[in-house]
Amino acid sequence: MLKGWRSTAIVTAITLVTFIVVPKLYDNQFLLFNMMMYMALAQGLNIIYGYTGYLPFGYVGFFGAGAYAGALVIIFLHWMPLIAVLVGGLTAVLFGMVLIPLFRLSGAYFSIASLAASEALYYVVANPHLEKITQGPYGISMPQAYDANAAYWTMLGILALSLVTSGIIRRSRFGLALSAIRENPLSASMSGVNVVQMRSLSWLLSAFIAGLAGATFGWYISVFYPETVFSLTIGVFTIVFILFGGIGTLIGPIIGTLILYGLYNYIGISTPQYFQIAYGLLIVLLVLFLPNGLVSLLKRRGVDVP
Amino acid sequence: MLRRSVMRSLLVAAALAASFAVWASPPSMIKIGTLYAGSGKFSQASTRQYDGLKYWAKEINAKGGVYVKAFDKKIPVKLVAYNDQSSTTLAASLYNRLITQDRVNLLVADYGSVLTSVAIPLARVHKVLLFDETGTSGKFFEPKDKNRYIVLTGLPTSSEWPKVLADFMQHVGIKKVAILYASNDWSGSQADTLNSTLKSLGVEVTFYESVPDSTSSYSTILRRIAATNPEAVAEFGYSTNDIAFLQNYASSGLHFKMMFVPNPALHFDVVRNAVGDAAIKNVYSYVAPPLIRYNKQVNFGPTLDRFEAAYTKAGGKNIDLSTVAGYNTGLIMGKALAEAPKFTQESLRDSIDTFSGKIFTLDGLFKVNAEGAQIGESLPVGQVLPTKKGLALLPVFPLKNAAAKYVYPQPANP
Amino acid sequence: MSLLVYALLAGLFYGLYFALVGIGLNLIFGVMRIINLAHGAFLMLGAYGAFYLYTLLGWNPLWAVPIELVVFFLLALPIYYLLVPRLQRSDDPEMLSFILFFGLSQVIEALAVFAFGNDQHSIPDAVFGTRPLHLLGQVFPLSWVVSAGIGLAGIVAIYLYLYRSRIGRATRAIMTDRDEAVVTGISVNRVSVLAFGVGIASAALAGIFSPFMLGAIEPSMGLHITVMAFVIIVIGSLGNPLGTVLGGLIFGEALMLMQTFLTSWAQLFPYVLLIAILLVKPSGLLGRKVRSA
Repeated sequence: MLKGWRSTAIVTAITLVTFIVVPKLYDNQFLLFNMMMYMALAQGLNIIYGYTGYLPFGYVGFFGAGAYAGALVIIFLHWMPLIAVLVGGLTAVLFGMVLIPLFRLSGAYFSIASLAASEALYYVVANPHLEKITQGPYGISMPQAYDANAAYWTMLGILALSLVTSGIIRRSRFGLALSAIRENPLSASMSGVNVVQMRSLSWLLSAFIAGLAGATFGWYISVFYPETVFSLTIGVFTIVFILFGGIGTLIGPIIGTLILYGLYNYIGISTPQYFQIAYGLLIVLLVLFLPNGLVSLLKRRGVDVP
Repeated sequence: MLRRSVMRSLLVAAALAASFAVWASPPSMIKIGTLYAGSGKFSQASTRQYDGLKYWAKEINAKGGVYVKAFDKKIPVKLVAYNDQSSTTLAASLYNRLITQDRVNLLVADYGSVLTSVAIPLARVHKVLLFDETGTSGKFFEPKDKNRYIVLTGLPTSSEWPKVLADFMQHVGIKKVAILYASNDWSGSQADTLNSTLKSLGVEVTFYESVPDSTSSYSTILRRIAATNPEAVAEFGYSTNDIAFLQNYASSGLHFKMMFVPNPALHFDVVRNAVGDAAIKNVYSYVAPPLIRYNKQVNFGPTLDRFEAAYTKAGGKNIDLSTVAGYNTGLIMGKALAEAPKFTQESLRDSIDTFSGKIFTLDGLFKVNAEGAQIGESLPVGQVLPTKKGLALLPVFPLKNAAAKYVYPQPANP
Repeated sequence: MSLLVYALLAGLFYGLYFALVGIGLNLIFGVMRIINLAHGAFLMLGAYGAFYLYTLLGWNPLWAVPIELVVFFLLALPIYYLLVPRLQRSDDPEMLSFILFFGLSQVIEALAVFAFGNDQHSIPDAVFGTRPLHLLGQVFPLSWVVSAGIGLAGIVAIYLYLYRSRIGRATRAIMTDRDEAVVTGISVNRVSVLAFGVGIASAALAGIFSPFMLGAIEPSMGLHITVMAFVIIVIGSLGNPLGTVLGGLIFGEALMLMQTFLTSWAQLFPYVLLIAILLVKPSGLLGRKVRSA
């Protein structure tokens, strides 16, 4: 047990230190920012999908909700960006609470319903009738708040939070209860696990992380349109990253994001014309030949993967 | 270890500062960084725009490079271009890479407002002048932002576009207009201007509504519009919207005296081929180069005719507005380099002010205001009319620029 | 009043077509429990097929129907053998299929950009003749009637395949309970490959008529259509191909009514409707199983 905690702490520390040191050697801060963002989102998704088996296709809805809530309190209330980020996280939690009834659905139904919820939110935000509130299709512009460095360190904090949360869940009784739910919800509830409460809690945690990340992303870029922050590709990427790394572990989503997002950028820069085809083929091959993610290679050798 | 990294970061910072400050000696080449969308929603226009810019670079290199006044010599240009796949997240990261890692000397935005938007704060904070080709959103150029690091090289901001259109509607005596728009920045700001301008002219707007970008069937909406009895209908959207709208209108059995859509002005051939001649005949649109052909007035760079001949001879597709916009951006950059006394971003921006309003290219009069927004060009109204060479979108208003007499009311479809 | 009649009839035409858009996706899900996220990409290829037959050879899109049904069925076979059996051996094929076919859709889209370019295309409505259809005092384009008719024909064909043939009975047995079907000696592989081929061919069939119903064709149109198809089949209920007809009709009617009476919210409504239906009936309108907890 203690050993498990120690490896969790080591993984978390290495990841965070990396993002503190690398900016001094490598100039593309936004790439690193995005990398952290996807790692945080991947852990957030891991908390709900990896530990409970519910896969929300519309996970980006929380991200968009956070980005908009954060931007709006900056624009209208002139709040400090850091507080705005917190507001973004809490707004996503609120959105998550509204969606709790979706847990009555199973498998693909849940996935599609969450996607529908995200799309619905997008169409509300982008509707010109709400221009006075959300700026509608005209998008957000808040150059006054632009502060790339501050946003970078904030994202580092969010990444730390997501790693710690995910690590604790994995090693705690809460995590055990969640995986019991994943294996068999009926027998878990019979053995005294409060299935509904546990699942809702991890759902809201997951939403909170995405909301924080969304608000910080909006702050970093400071000019964006509804389609920027509700883009389905953000959600799809996150799902692909954690499946590639290995779900239900702490290190899987980190490695998955590091390699795939790294490759994604590398291909985009080295051979932009074959970008999409190379990336698509890569995904196909990964699923066919490494369906349980990279960590399965370690697990097969009997390594206790953090 | 730590010391080394501090050293390195100092070096990097110094190099970065140097790259945008004054060069002591001339660089061996001028690096121009840009993005294009190889796939996705904006790819059609974006790749053409990129082709236009590439052609400019090829042409200028064939002449030994671009003349840089600061060094008093010609230096070859090198394009550094990445594919953002129409994704803003990826675009932001790639713009950042162009600035911080490739250290490009000049930064050129991708097509349209959406893909340009993410470059603006980056360019501003890194103090790099952003050459904005077609990102025409008004919010990029707000005076309160005092942003000196952006110049719109091509079209005016989108809210300016429909002003001539409103005049035309008044000119032919239209009293009732229906406006439908797709909910995106570009379409919405045009609709907004048309709506308010018409109202100030005393024209009644009988219908003013938005549909989502992804709308692909307009038949029921057309019925609703018809129920408000407008004389003219203006639909603003991306070309997918216009294509579906014109298709549905042609087969609806409805008839309005005037039908206006914006995209034939941007890529006439694409819209025409998609909907067929019967559906586009007599439809109104804006006219922009190359459909309005600036030849006589041009005092900088090739005339439109010469450009078109050279470009197609070099194996390019038939040109449209995006191609012209990309090429024109090259011309403006070249002019800025030829005028700026110092090779710095600030000096480039200042030099643009010195020739703003004085040069007339194949894209029209180049004139920017203090915020860098284009104010020299205005978009005349055109109509798709038969010519000897088949249907063409011809300027019909203002009358002094007209190449043909407008047909109003539009005849009903056969 | 006349607006309401128009919207209802338009919704009917669109609904039948939408059912065709979704039915292949549902068939594949029902039999193989995999989510074909490349459904819209195959539809896009079908659309380009019809477009090129029309522009290069001047053929009416109706001629594309038999050609594409055969071509896409054959195209589906190698794709099936390359991807599906291997996928089925993994721990969670349903979720993994999601990213596998996302990857495939990216490859198809990229190849389409190379092959067809990025320009938007369409086929003029007038290809079916310029005389519109008069129905209940309303005028409808003939292309809608043709598209809806083909949609209906496609659904009837799939109904006959499922309910009036031996392999159809086996297919339904697998959809109901895969393990039990295997025990009774049904060849899952044979049934699956057929269903996969039919599913892909039906997507291409819907694609032929997409220029008239779904707007301009371009390589990136697929993802949006896949999402829409998903909403349609989930409303009806997953794994129940006939539920798709109901889903298509509801989606079509909802869209047209909203476009008529609340234009700017039209695109929002189907999604809200989907969530509402699922909350009342957690496995779609015609679903059977309700999950505990």
